[in-house]
Amino acid sequence: MLLEVRAASVSYKMVRALHRITMEVPAGGIVTIIGANGAGKTTALRAISGLVPLAEGEIVFEGERISGLAPERIAALGIGHVPEGRRVFPDLTVEENLSTGAFLRRDASAVRSDFEAVYSRFPRLAERRRQYARTLSGGEQQMLAIGRALMLRPRMLLLDEPSMGLAPVIVEEIARIIRDISGTGVPVLLVEQNAEMALELADYAYVLETGSVALSGVADELHGDDHVRRAYLGA
Amino acid sequence: MTELLLQTIVNATYAASYLALVAVGLVLIFGVMGIINFAHGEFYMLGAYCVVALYADLELPFLLSVAAGLVFVGLVGIATERTLFRPMRDNPLGGLVVSIGLLLILQSLATLGFGVRMEHIPPPSQAVLTLREGVGIPVQRLNVIFAAVLLLGALWLFLHRTRWGFALRASAQDPEAAALQGISMGQASRIAVGIGAALAGVAGALTAPLVRTFPYMGHSVIIAAFIVIIVGGVGSLEGAVLAAVVYAFVHTFVTTFVDGVIADIVGLLLMLAVLIVRPTGLFGSRDRG
Repeated sequence: MLLEVRAASVSYKMVRALHRITMEVPAGGIVTIIGANGAGKTTALRAISGLVPLAEGEIVFEGERISGLAPERIAALGIGHVPEGRRVFPDLTVEENLSTGAFLRRDASAVRSDFEAVYSRFPRLAERRRQYARTLSGGEQQMLAIGRALMLRPRMLLLDEPSMGLAPVIVEEIARIIRDISGTGVPVLLVEQNAEMALELADYAYVLETGSVALSGVADELHGDDHVRRAYLGA
Repeated sequence: MTELLLQTIVNATYAASYLALVAVGLVLIFGVMGIINFAHGEFYMLGAYCVVALYADLELPFLLSVAAGLVFVGLVGIATERTLFRPMRDNPLGGLVVSIGLLLILQSLATLGFGVRMEHIPPPSQAVLTLREGVGIPVQRLNVIFAAVLLLGALWLFLHRTRWGFALRASAQDPEAAALQGISMGQASRIAVGIGAALAGVAGALTAPLVRTFPYMGHSVIIAAFIVIIVGGVGSLEGAVLAAVVYAFVHTFVTTFVDGVIADIVGLLLMLAVLIVRPTGLFGSRDRG
């Protein structure tokens, strides 16, 4: 397994946000975490990236324990994180935002070719490369946030609610992009409230309910599961 | 009358120069750390005392003393960040308390080392450049203007052209998202406070022969710098530079044509007016974090 979360718990003040969750991400494909608002999906990704400390348990990436490391150290191991709400740097240009994504890279010529790769993947970013990120639309900001994470040349990509607040056409485009990225060999851990989209994209899925893993399984099978259909697919 | 007007413009430009150096450092530290450094005037004072110790007492070359002031106060800033500021990051009240504590410590150390009386610093150059009949600028003041333009230009290039410059701006806009890009907040903070302190130090060193140098000299400059960053928009470097120019011109003109005390009042009124009309300052578009 590429990433293993082992019986990990997270508490905010006195409230337990995650309770002994265990999940695995293999070295290829898309794994998704679905669940209602406040189920702990975002917290799970934040724990992997080191933004929140674990109260118990551990997280292991490529056989190495990463829980307890600072976020910048975890990024240096190759975990790219596209945070909830995109979090692009508003007063940096598109190009500067992408540059910060390449902050840890020392291979200048490969970085240059990655710039071109991101621009050809997202032509709308290429058109706006000198614009401040705050002037972009929601969909464009999402693309920029994904592009920024790709500039790290991640060994694994964490995506937090990439469809949030976007028009259906744009959501479709984002879904295509996620499939593309996975196709280039980058494993993806996708957190989504849009369970329909997530289960369609993913190979494997975890269902979080009030901080615990309620259910997990092959995405196609969960798509047919009665409980999942009633609770998350509105069927 | 034209002579007086031109002369006042020259004087205001000089005042804007060192004020901008001090205010920009304050903004840089606040932007990256969320701490308002009340001891920033004392960093300025330390720079001035480097010139007292090295140039006036040991008779080393003036330029060397100024460079030493830049480096020394920069190092004091780095030490301050590691020991006092880092534990207080994004804790405005804690930052207020430790920086006021630091202010008192630095003032006391200066008093212990040099006494409370005003220092006499022989001017490195007595030359006055005559711009036209009745309008002149002492070379010493001209050097301050040159140095400010040079250093602020270098800072701009650093922030907009280098890897760590991007990292600093990103950290100021969203520290958490910056950490996800692999940017170490500790390192970014160290650089921001180091540069901020060094700029205040070099401003103090350059102006030491031109102002009254004594352990409490930081007061006057920190009040002006606070007005400047509020008028410019807390968090905006460009705003701080522009506001330094506006404030220095208003203050110098009122001092020349009316009175120094009135000028201080007008400066504060300027800040009030900006706060009422545009609470985020001239350039401030958003709150930090």
